[in-house]
Amino acid sequence: MIKTVDLKKTFVGRDQTVHAVDGISAHIKPSEVVVIIGPSGSGKSTYLRCLNGLETLTSGQIIIDGVDLSAKKTDLNLVRREVGMVFQQFNLFPHKSVLQNIVLAQQVVRKRKSSEALEKARMLLQKVGIAEKENEYPIRLSGGQQQRVAIARALAMDPKIMLFDEPTSALDPEMVGEVLEVMKQLAREGMTMVVVTHEMGFAREVADRVLFMDQGKLVEEGTPEHFFTAPQEERTKTFLRQVL
Amino acid sequence: MNTNRNTWPWNLLTIAILFTLCAGLWAATKKIDYTWRWNRVPQYFIYHDETLIPAPFDGQVATISKLGDKTQIKVLGDNGEEETFEVDSNGIEVFEGETLFEGDYLGATFEWRAGPLLVGLWTTLWLSAAASIIGMVIGLITGLCRVSNNPTLRSLSVFYIELIRGTPLLVQLFIFYFFLGTVLDISRIMAGISALAIFAGAYVAEIIRAGIQSIPKGQMEAARSLGMNVPQAMIHIILPQAFKRTLPPLAGQFISLIKDSSLVSVIAITDLTKSGREVITSTFATFEIWFVVAFLYLLLTSVLSQVAAWVERRLAVSD
Ligand SMILES: Nc1ncnc2c1ncn2[C@@H]1O[C@H](COP(=O)(O)OP(=O)(O)OP(=O)(O)O)[C@@H](O)[C@H]1O
Ligand SMILES: [Mg+2]
Repeated sequence: MIKTVDLKKTFVGRDQTVHAVDGISAHIKPSEVVVIIGPSGSGKSTYLRCLNGLETLTSGQIIIDGVDLSAKKTDLNLVRREVGMVFQQFNLFPHKSVLQNIVLAQQVVRKRKSSEALEKARMLLQKVGIAEKENEYPIRLSGGQQQRVAIARALAMDPKIMLFDEPTSALDPEMVGEVLEVMKQLAREGMTMVVVTHEMGFAREVADRVLFMDQGKLVEEGTPEHFFTAPQEERTKTFLRQVL
Repeated sequence: MNTNRNTWPWNLLTIAILFTLCAGLWAATKKIDYTWRWNRVPQYFIYHDETLIPAPFDGQVATISKLGDKTQIKVLGDNGEEETFEVDSNGIEVFEGETLFEGDYLGATFEWRAGPLLVGLWTTLWLSAAASIIGMVIGLITGLCRVSNNPTLRSLSVFYIELIRGTPLLVQLFIFYFFLGTVLDISRIMAGISALAIFAGAYVAEIIRAGIQSIPKGQMEAARSLGMNVPQAMIHIILPQAFKRTLPPLAGQFISLIKDSSLVSVIAITDLTKSGREVITSTFATFEIWFVVAFLYLLLTSVLSQVAAWVERRLAVSD
């Protein structure tokens, strides 16, 4: 479903060059839930953002569902429809109501009829458990509710893959659960998911595979059991000691 | 916020100060022996115009038939011609059977007509409106070029903005009128509107640029991640939010434009300012007319700021 080959992303600044992603090769299978963990600044977000073309690659290759993202003739907008993304800061459209947030891209990008888009939006709001808030503006929702709307908004495009970049990191602790619950349900339904998170409980319970990144490199990968019981690499052990 | 109870003494003080100022002005004009003639002013807004209708040929009045306010006068010519005229009933100057010579007045029609001040106000209004709309379009396009990734578009927009903001509007007006007006053969009104629009466009562009850049990067990323292309994201996500934030400075810019439009009087466009000057030459009511002209500008600008405030309140539903 997703294949990255020796993926590199380098940020060239005025006084320093950052190798944010430094040669990552990975293969994510359909319906697989992959959790990426790693210390701050290790390039997790950058890797994720490369996967839907929000960052342009420095070198390497990404193939999503048979489409080569790095090829010149690939229309990234077509790829992005198939790859939903959920951000740490929710990034809901503040000038649109909850319902409009979910309807907009369906109409603009997927060219769906208004009635069809509305029906889909209401169905998804039901699914993430905030049907009663459809006419509210994002600012009047709690963080957990906003993030659930953001998930519904991404799902409305019928993506084949969902990317989550620390979806619960900006939430108050009591709201983390409601968002993780929605993600778990998605995983059970067979969605292909790549999740960057510090929620080790989620990784342990839901992930099929865990990737540990440090300094732009893939240090270790394996099943959750492998990770949380018998990690091999020294850096993985140090990291896990700190977060567990 | 202060409560009403605490502010009324201050309001009283404000009124007292304003009153003292007015009294001072009045006393000062007393000393220079100026005769105020406010009664001359209204006729320059609107006046009752009389149009006299002359007989087109020698002949006589055949019939006069009154129909309410209007009266039909049928005239028979000496050579057999026949024609009917309509005048106001209270303006009839002939009786049935009267002998007429060509050019004798049959009667008059009366009409309310806009005086020069009202005509000037209207000119200023539509001139500013046209320049605002065109300036908005220019500013929007330039603002978008200013934030685009294309270096040529960026440089061109910076060049335009710097050029316009670095030269006086008065000089731009002269260049538009004398140079471009001659080269491109455009009328003085077109020259005036273009100069104002291009002047406003440069400022609007900067406002729009600031507005777009004030929108968090995550908005564009969220829009793109849903598969929208850049124009779609701009139209549906970025610009509506930027517009909301830039409404107060934009309103300020268009208020400035109304005031700056008074400069077009130097290229002989009869706007409110020029009408005022013309009225003064025939009335010598210099003080009154300038006060009235100032008040009319104030009227236009405050209506605009009220409209802007109303739109702002409407858009505030999402905060
Ligand atoms: N747009 C950018 N320009 C320059 N450097 C960047 C940019 N984005 C990220 N970086 C750098 O790339 C490195 C990796 O950043 P990234 O955000 O991918 O890390 P992360 O693993 O997501 O960290 P965190 O857990 O804090 O979110 C960091 O050193 C960061 O400073
Ligand atoms: Mg990150």
